[in-house]
Amino acid sequence: MIVLALVLLPILAGIIMLLIPAREENPVLAKGAGTVIALIEFALALGARDSEFSLRPWLSRPFESSFHFGATGISFWIVLLLAVVTFSAILAMSVPRQRQFVAQMLLLEGTMMGVFLAKDLLLFALFWDLMLLPVFFGLLGWGEHPATAWRYFIYNFAGGLALLLATATFGVLFGSTDVIGRTDVHVVGSWVPWIFIGFAFAFLVKTPVWPLHTWMPPTYSNTPPPMVAVVSAVQSKAGLYGLIVICMAFMPDYLKAYAGVLIVLGVISLLYGAVVSLVQNDTKRIVAYSSLSHLGLIVVAICSFNAIALQGALIYIIAHGLFSAGMFLTLGYVEAREDTRSLVRLGGLGAVNPKLAGALCITSLAALGLPGLAGFVGEIVILTGVFQAGFIWVTILALIPIVIAAAYMLRLFQGVMNGPEVEDLPVRRDLTWLEGIALAPIVLALVVLGVNPHALTTFDPAQYNATQTQVAQGVAR
Amino acid sequence: MPVHHVMGNEGNYPYLLALWLLPLAGAIVNWAFGPQLKSAAGALGSAAIGVAFVATVLMWGAATQSVPSTGGVNLVGAHQTLFSWLPGFDFGLLMDPLSLLWALIITGVGFLIHVYSIGYMDGDNAFARFFAYMNFFVFAMLTLVLSDNFVGLLIGWGLVGLASYFLIGFWFFKPSAVAAARKAFVLNVVGDVGIMFAIFMIFASVHSTGFGDAFAFAGSYNTGWLFAICLTLFIGAAAKSAQIPLQTWLPDAMEGPTPVSALIHAATMVTAGVYLIARCAPLWSQNQDAQMLVGVIGALTALLGAILGCAQWDIKRILAYSTMSQIGYMIMGVGVGAYEGGVAHFFTHAFFKAQLFLGSGIIIHALNNEQDVRRMGGLIKTMPFAFVAMLTGVIAISGIPYLGSGFFSKDLVIQGALQHGHPWLYAIALITAGITAYYMCRMLFVTFLGQYRGNVDPSDLGIRHPELAGTSAHAAEHDEVHAHAPAWLMNVPVGILIVPTVLIGWLMFGGENSPWAHFFAQQFPHPALPAAPISETLTAVIAFALVIVGIAIAWARYGVAPAQQNAVERLRQESVRMPAVLTNAFYFDYAIDWLFVRTSQLLGTLFGRFLDPQVIDGAVRETAFSAQWLGTLVRSFQTGLLRTYAFLLVIGATCFMVYYAVAMGAAK
Repeated sequence: MIVLALVLLPILAGIIMLLIPAREENPVLAKGAGTVIALIEFALALGARDSEFSLRPWLSRPFESSFHFGATGISFWIVLLLAVVTFSAILAMSVPRQRQFVAQMLLLEGTMMGVFLAKDLLLFALFWDLMLLPVFFGLLGWGEHPATAWRYFIYNFAGGLALLLATATFGVLFGSTDVIGRTDVHVVGSWVPWIFIGFAFAFLVKTPVWPLHTWMPPTYSNTPPPMVAVVSAVQSKAGLYGLIVICMAFMPDYLKAYAGVLIVLGVISLLYGAVVSLVQNDTKRIVAYSSLSHLGLIVVAICSFNAIALQGALIYIIAHGLFSAGMFLTLGYVEAREDTRSLVRLGGLGAVNPKLAGALCITSLAALGLPGLAGFVGEIVILTGVFQAGFIWVTILALIPIVIAAAYMLRLFQGVMNGPEVEDLPVRRDLTWLEGIALAPIVLALVVLGVNPHALTTFDPAQYNATQTQVAQGVAR
Repeated sequence: MPVHHVMGNEGNYPYLLALWLLPLAGAIVNWAFGPQLKSAAGALGSAAIGVAFVATVLMWGAATQSVPSTGGVNLVGAHQTLFSWLPGFDFGLLMDPLSLLWALIITGVGFLIHVYSIGYMDGDNAFARFFAYMNFFVFAMLTLVLSDNFVGLLIGWGLVGLASYFLIGFWFFKPSAVAAARKAFVLNVVGDVGIMFAIFMIFASVHSTGFGDAFAFAGSYNTGWLFAICLTLFIGAAAKSAQIPLQTWLPDAMEGPTPVSALIHAATMVTAGVYLIARCAPLWSQNQDAQMLVGVIGALTALLGAILGCAQWDIKRILAYSTMSQIGYMIMGVGVGAYEGGVAHFFTHAFFKAQLFLGSGIIIHALNNEQDVRRMGGLIKTMPFAFVAMLTGVIAISGIPYLGSGFFSKDLVIQGALQHGHPWLYAIALITAGITAYYMCRMLFVTFLGQYRGNVDPSDLGIRHPELAGTSAHAAEHDEVHAHAPAWLMNVPVGILIVPTVLIGWLMFGGENSPWAHFFAQQFPHPALPAAPISETLTAVIAFALVIVGIAIAWARYGVAPAQQNAVERLRQESVRMPAVLTNAFYFDYAIDWLFVRTSQLLGTLFGRFLDPQVIDGAVRETAFSAQWLGTLVRSFQTGLLRTYAFLLVIGATCFMVYYAVAMGAAK
């Protein structure tokens, strides 16, 4: 039941908030309500480990499909991440038409809960399409350029369509879509390559991977900060999650066959994102391109078919979620104060805003892979595995962006916070209490997981073990 | 899975945990409660390090205790297990003679520098922040030297780099400090990445990152593989210890406050590369090529640093190049296999270089942040104590027999190179000793002899860009009148440092029977070596002769009466005639800038401005979305949120059903 509540509570709350007549606007009340819902979600997520809910079958012809949710293995950790990031995002936000925006945030949380908790492929695919809508409306209603909304929607809906087709075909061939987390699923037939390509296309667009990434930088820089924090932290993980629990679990042979291509695309993403980040002047675009780089590393990790790399991928999924959310939120606070995101205009804020500087410092250090913070753990464990799997040149190439990341992240941090104070910049107050509380769980998690990610690495629910077994089989072949 | 090899006696060592975590506690308290602590921050920060030093001394017995069982590689020390990330990534603390020595310097010299900083940093706006960073540095450096595995070492390695970044850029309103901090950090990440790659190779061989496992396997690595491990580890060492070609960040790092230069960029952090190679002695001893590589790079760095030291005018940059040069000696020593010698030079250098920096800090502080030696002169009269401090330091670094500690350790390194069969490195090291004596005496004479030149117009001294030449750049920000902390806070630590600077070298006196050799008897491999063709005494005589030549040239150029009288004109002449290759430090900066920085920026611009929007996005638009219907579709959507919602859902469901039917048909 807990998992069902996790999905339905924010969706219902979001719909109710949308339906309230516009005359009774009260931004603080709206935010308060949103924060309470997000807190309840967080409490539920904490208690959701290994809980399941199943109503089966809700569809029996032509294939079985169940209303089946479960917070096992990797799902639990991503759901927890989602709950934390949504709470942090809502708590300290300030946007026009707050009530409607909070409603979109809650809808986003609920639909993404659905994606990561669904144990049924059809359910997964439906929630996948639904989670695009709040972002689409966020961009349309609150973004700087409505055209970006369409670009986001068309790219991702194309992916969603491919996902839906692949799911339907899968269901027809296998007879049931209630399969996520099962270890006895083998699909055969001449249609399987198409199923694989459908899934893979959806996942690679969503992640994104070069050259399917061009929707992402404008989306990230135009979406309001609270929403882009959630999107970059969690929604971008939907593709990687799908690669692990669907492509790798059910079609390891095909994933292995295409692994070479995917690794090349991952390495290109890694390098490409890094060098482009180096010359951007828009703070949010820097983080957007750095995301392209970081997520490319996870694609490489998954496609290297190595148990250690996969473990590292899970750590890095959580770590990237934390630091990218932290960076977008902090940069949002900066933008809200100074009315600009341009490194050309910003500078010297650290002298008067030391707490804000501290927050941006820690999150950007985590992003550049500073040892002692969570990003580093993910990077070193992933690359240890990738190297062990025999991809020596891939490892060497993947180390270059780590150096470049240090350069662009420090350029970003120093460009905003260091140097002489800029004369014509309206330097406003330091981090408020609410903003501090919003960032605290993110920073704390980055430090704790950076020192000892044991909690993430020793859980062994069936789901994760299943993929690991598959990995072992894949390596053995 | 191979047997897990743990180095040292397993046990619980509260003193070890205390000395490791106390500096961290000090950093957190100073960081969180800085504004409330006010001037107590300095005392608190110093006390944390002082107590850590006492705890380190109390660990002496456990750290030098032999391990009864066999099986591990290292048969001495104390080991404390901490936690494990996942199998193979196990963390623990190891304290054996090597890490004990480093911990003693980090906390001991660190404590003196902390006390000195109370005086030096007095009145700074961010007094507590300074001590928070300094304490954090000590914690990070202890993590580096106490870790029992490569990942823990790398974490310490990265964190000292961070502390260094913070402290170089401590005055972050100065663009030059900000740039120097970033440069230091990025170049050090190059080193971090090197060590990461070594970890991958080691893990692939032994399924562990522990020192014990890696070293127990030392004899079994494939030769090429082992060379690659040593090479990548050395990339890390070269970046951190400012060895060619990754040295360019160190002179710029002098942007940090002088106590930072003394602690981080002289005594401790920059010697981490020496520690790494000494720690990995079992690996290096198995590979001749790796030894040769490291020895050559070390010797070349020593020579290059010394040559560049002759061309500097900023007192801190002179000391920075001398640090680079002296670390070159250490790296050469541990590289060729003379581990005791290399480590000995680290030990004595920590004292005399800290003293030189702190002595220069007294001068800089008194002259209101003046750092250009051309604008000094005659200070022997006004600052006799600083002169004594600098003089003893110069004697020690120049290696004047028996009068300073540097003589003993440098002799071990130079003779070690010959003993291990590297006559060329031996020769380079000897020549470098002569050059070292020259440029250190040059600094001493120009600073302290003759007339005070602080009131001379900078252009008369050949200073073209006073704001760039390390002259009082940040003086303006700090010249507000405030009551200085008592001078003894700065003088006492320097006075205490004079004792080891002069005397500590005697620990290394007596060859194989010296206390030094006994201390490391179980630490390093001791292969049987043929007798060196030149005896140790003769080496010392040759070295001394070259040192005398160096001092004599310096005296002739800067010390004799006519030179003192015409100092202004002579300094101007020398500044103007300085070869460009020296003022540009052999163009390493330009090479790195053009080869790597500009290339990646160019690629980034090409991809971001052209490839992304024009080619990739353009192609996608052309092939998929150029159809006319899209435009009408877009317009029809611009109305009402809920209606759009509903409509999109209908589209989704319709598409789903259509293809679902198709798929069903196909399956039948």
